[in-house]
Order: sequence, then structure tokens, then C-alpha cells
Amino acid sequence: MGLIPRRIIIGAGLCVVAFALVGIRLVDVTLMQGGVAASVSGRVIAARADLTDRNGELLARDLPVKDLYARPRVLWDKAQAARDLARVTGADMRRLDNGFNTARHPYVLVARQLTPDQQDSVMHLGLPGLEFEPSAKRYYPDGRTAAQLLGVTDADNNGVSGLELGLNEKLHSQAGSQVATSIDKRVQYILAHETESARQMFTARAAGGVVMDVNSGEIIAMISVPDFDPNQRRLGAGDSTRNVMAQDVYELGSVFKIFSFALGFEDKTMHLDEVFPIGQGFRIGKYTIHEAEHMPATLQARDILAQSSNIGTSQIALRSGGVRQRAFLQKIGLLGPIRSELPEMARPLYPRANWGAIETATVGFGQGISVSPLSFVAAAASMVNGGRRITPTFLKQAPGADNRKEQVIRPDTSEQMRDLLRYVVTNGTGRKADIPGYDVGGKTGSAQVPGPNGRYIPHALRTSFISIFPVHKPRYILFVLLDQPHGTKETGGFALAGYTAAPLAGKVISRIAPLLGVPNTAPPVKLARGNS
Amino acid sequence: MVRLLNFFCVAFMGLSILALYHVSEATRVARVELERTNHQIAETRGHISVLQTEWERVAGPARIQQLAELQGMSDTTSVQLSSFDQLPRRGEDTAPLGNTPLHNASAVVPSRPAPATDSGM
Repeated sequence: MGLIPRRIIIGAGLCVVAFALVGIRLVDVTLMQGGVAASVSGRVIAARADLTDRNGELLARDLPVKDLYARPRVLWDKAQAARDLARVTGADMRRLDNGFNTARHPYVLVARQLTPDQQDSVMHLGLPGLEFEPSAKRYYPDGRTAAQLLGVTDADNNGVSGLELGLNEKLHSQAGSQVATSIDKRVQYILAHETESARQMFTARAAGGVVMDVNSGEIIAMISVPDFDPNQRRLGAGDSTRNVMAQDVYELGSVFKIFSFALGFEDKTMHLDEVFPIGQGFRIGKYTIHEAEHMPATLQARDILAQSSNIGTSQIALRSGGVRQRAFLQKIGLLGPIRSELPEMARPLYPRANWGAIETATVGFGQGISVSPLSFVAAAASMVNGGRRITPTFLKQAPGADNRKEQVIRPDTSEQMRDLLRYVVTNGTGRKADIPGYDVGGKTGSAQVPGPNGRYIPHALRTSFISIFPVHKPRYILFVLLDQPHGTKETGGFALAGYTAAPLAGKVISRIAPLLGVPNTAPPVKLARGNS
Repeated sequence: MVRLLNFFCVAFMGLSILALYHVSEATRVARVELERTNHQIAETRGHISVLQTEWERVAGPARIQQLAELQGMSDTTSVQLSSFDQLPRRGEDTAPLGNTPLHNASAVVPSRPAPATDSGM
């Protein structure tokens, strides 16, 4: 009697264990595995994260496409199949024909990244042995507008240039989500539109522009023309993938004079009311420095910058000396490549071995030293943002972010520079950038262009304009560049920066400043008159 | 008594097997249905993704400018644009638009008119 209940208890126990195992398995199958399956199949196939602008607008996205594979063994007429597939997919017919007849593997790749229309066409062929494999294709809704900046990806969805390359790991690791850049799509478009218009108007070889926040270092827009269509795999006639603002180095000419003045203020070697002799030429050893335009016999320091005098700037630079000038340019980051999320960068060219008096003078007015426009913009921003170093970034920062680093010039020097840049716009060569309602400060630059033999090309200029707005509480810096522009009837045949780059900067500022929320300081009475 | 108990146990086990088989089948069917639904969701998300991208293209600044030009609209001069926080409060005639330090800042550096030429080399 005592044994029987024990057997029953053991049997019942085994049953309980068996039922428990079945129950656990049921829970595993229905809840655990089902949940995983749901989460996996619920995702859109995307190899890379979306790239968006600072306002969440789409800049680049992986779109679902299909790769087409064929099983040659089940094709009835391989030659006909190769012809038909080549016709509807754009694939090379010879490759397909060869692949179908000599295939070592059961599958042959017919075409990648087929659009839905192409898929329909393939289906209508009614061929057996075709299989579509889900894939993704990178698409850029704005096309050429930010082509060099965003870059492109290869067929395997790896970045090959621009931010697609610079942010490659981040975009892969955050696939299915979004990565916010510092770019403002509206500003990017306006800068691209105005710069391309100016390039066509002045028949310039190339042009570019950058807008940067002087406190956060965020690049709001960056363009380079000629550009290309990132949605096409082939370059069209006249297209270029080169980002002239980051990849190339240029002798920027007179815009560089702002550094000579900042150094003069730092070293207290001059004051704005001081009068400098200008004359017809300035001899340094066997070299003579000339002005490009006729100048008065004397100029006050402020007018040396406003009228862009080479002789006056040379004297100011020589007062600090070559050693000090070189250390200063090193300090503000102009003698090394600038590092950012953008992989394209360029090393500056400058006199490494001999930095004597003539080099000091020429570097002082922006010849004999070549830097990338992006490096120049970062250095110029530190001249006006209170004197603190700033590094450009292409990733969105928190609102009101202050990423300024160490002090490179005194705050009072920075304030003097802002006053002086405003003076250049109101009384000097930058007048065409003076926009009503927005206090703009800036400096023109018209540099000679070296040819392939190292000598300057006669009459060829590279014009640029650096501008800040609003000048006395700077928020943004804009730099525009035109490579070898030509004068027009409207400019009286002049191609100098005051006639080409400054008006371009003015047009851009007048359109982007309201969008960027820059305070409009125009008096209300003028506002009312404008509306009437 | 024991036989009866055994019979009930075996019967219960048999019924349990049938019930589990039913649950298993129902689960299999539900999983197929779930996979199909998930596939549809993925497909719909793909379509939404394409439509969003298409919208970004057609509503982009380039297209808007093109449409504005077609309608004969021109750029508004910057002086006509402002924001709400720049508008004067009731009772304030001009401030902060008119006499702000920003507006008057251009007079900080004494002016000396000169021709607008750039003499950079």
C-alpha cells in the first residue's frame, strides 16, 4: 500500500515535468521567437542611417530596391534571356550571355539596385529562374545642391567621399535611424543658387561658399561649383566631384590682411589713426611691392585695410616680424590641415625654409601662402568671435552651443577687428555687401593666380569676400570665392572682389539672414516705406 | 481505484496532446499570418520612405523657387522681413528696431569716404 502511492506520485511528478517542459516550449515559441521575428521583419532594409539637416529635413536616405539574380540552369533560351534582361535592366548583354553560359555558381548577378519600374519590366518578361534580393540605394533628394559636401556611397553602401565617408561608421551603426548634420537645407540652397548665378554671370572657372556659426563652429552651408549629380553613377560634361572649399589650397590675397591687422593690434605696433607712407612702391631688398590700384601718398591704418593697400599692410606685418607672424599663423591654425568630420582636407603651402622680410610682407597681404578656404574661415571666425579658436563641425550641436576653445587674440583686439571690418564695408572696398537692416562687416580679396609654371597668370584673379553678420555681435561668417571671374558691362569690366565677390556675399546675406533669425536693425519708418 | 486513476491520467494526457496540437497549429498559422503582416508593414514602410523622399524632392527649396518664379513672384528685400520678437511692443515707438546699439554700430569707426576699389595683388 505504501509503494503504490509512491509510484503514482513519481508518475504524476514526471507528467508535471513533461507538461512544464511543453509549457515552457510553448511560451518560447509563441512569445519569445515570435517577438524577435516581428522586430526583424518589421524594419525597412537600410544599410545606413538617414542624413538630415539641422531642422530634420532629409538630405540622404537608403531607398528599398532589389538586386536581380538569375539561375542559368533553368533558363530555356540563355541568349534570348540575356538580351531581354539587358534591355530592361541596362546590364551589359555580353556579360550576361557569358555569365549564363559559363556560370560556375548556381546564381548569376544580373543587375543591382533595380527601381520598382525596372522590377515590373523584369516580371513582364515571364522568365523562369529569376530572384530578387532586397537591397538599398542611397538617394539624395536635393541632387546637386550639396553633392560634394554629402559625398556618395559605392554599390556596397560604403561611403566614398564627403560626409558619407567621414561619418561612415556612425551611419552604419545607426542604420534605420537619422544622423543630424549642422547643414541648413534652405541656406545651402540659397548659397548654391547665388554662387552658381555669380559663376555664370562672371564666367568664373569655379566658385564656392561657406557659412559657419562663429560660436558653435557648425557649418551651416558649404558649396562648391562645378558640382555633380550624386544620384547618377556617371559624371556629366563639366561636372566635378572636387570640393574646392576643403580640398584645394589657394593664395587668398587681401582677405588675409585681417590677420596682419589682428597681429598689429595684438603686438600694439600700430593704431588706427596712424598715417603710413604709401608712395609708388615699397622696396624690400631686391624686391619692390606695388599696389594693384592707384593709392594716395599716405593712408591712415584703417584705410590701409579699407582700400586694401599692399604697401601699408607690408609695413604693418614687418613691424611684428617674420618669426612672430609665423607663430601667430600657427596659433590660429593656418599652418596645418584642419580636421573635421569631412575627410577632404588639404595641407597649407607656405615658405617653410626661409621666412624672411619679403616673405613676411607678401604673406601679410595674402600671397606666398596657400590655405584651404575652410581653414581660412575657421581662423577668420576666431578673429571676430571674441578671439577664441573654433573648429568647424558638420554635426548638429545643441542650440546656443559654445564650442570656442582657447584664446588666440585678446577680446579687445577682436572688438577692434569687428569695427574695422564694418568700416571696410561702409567706407572701403566691401560697399556692395552692405545690406540694409543687417550690419555686415567684411573684407575683399583679389589674389593673383599662379599658372602651371609657377608664374602668375596675367590678368587672372581669384576673388573672395569674408563677411560677418551682425558685425558687433557676430553670429555667422560667410566666405565666398570666385576662381578667375571676368568683368561684365555692369561692373565696367572690373573683375576685382569689390565688383564680383562682395555683391555675391551681399545677395546671399540678404536672403539667409532673415531665415537664420539675425536681428533686422532697419528703422521701422524705412520698413513702412518699403511696404507702401 | 488505481486503475481508474490511471485511466483518467491517460485520458487527460490524450486530451492534452490534442489540445497542444491544436495550440501548435494555431500558433503556426498565427506565425504565418504574422510574417505576412510584418512583410506588409515593411513594404508599406518602404513605400512611406519612398514617398517621404519624393516629398522632400518636390517640396525642396529649389522646386519652391522654381514655382515662385513661374508665378512671377520676386525676392522680398531683406528690410521687409523681420520676426515677432523684433516688433516693437505697444507704446514703444521705435525700439527695439530703430535705435538699438546694433543699428548704430556702423558709426563706431569714423568714416572717411574713399573709392570702392580693391588693390590686393
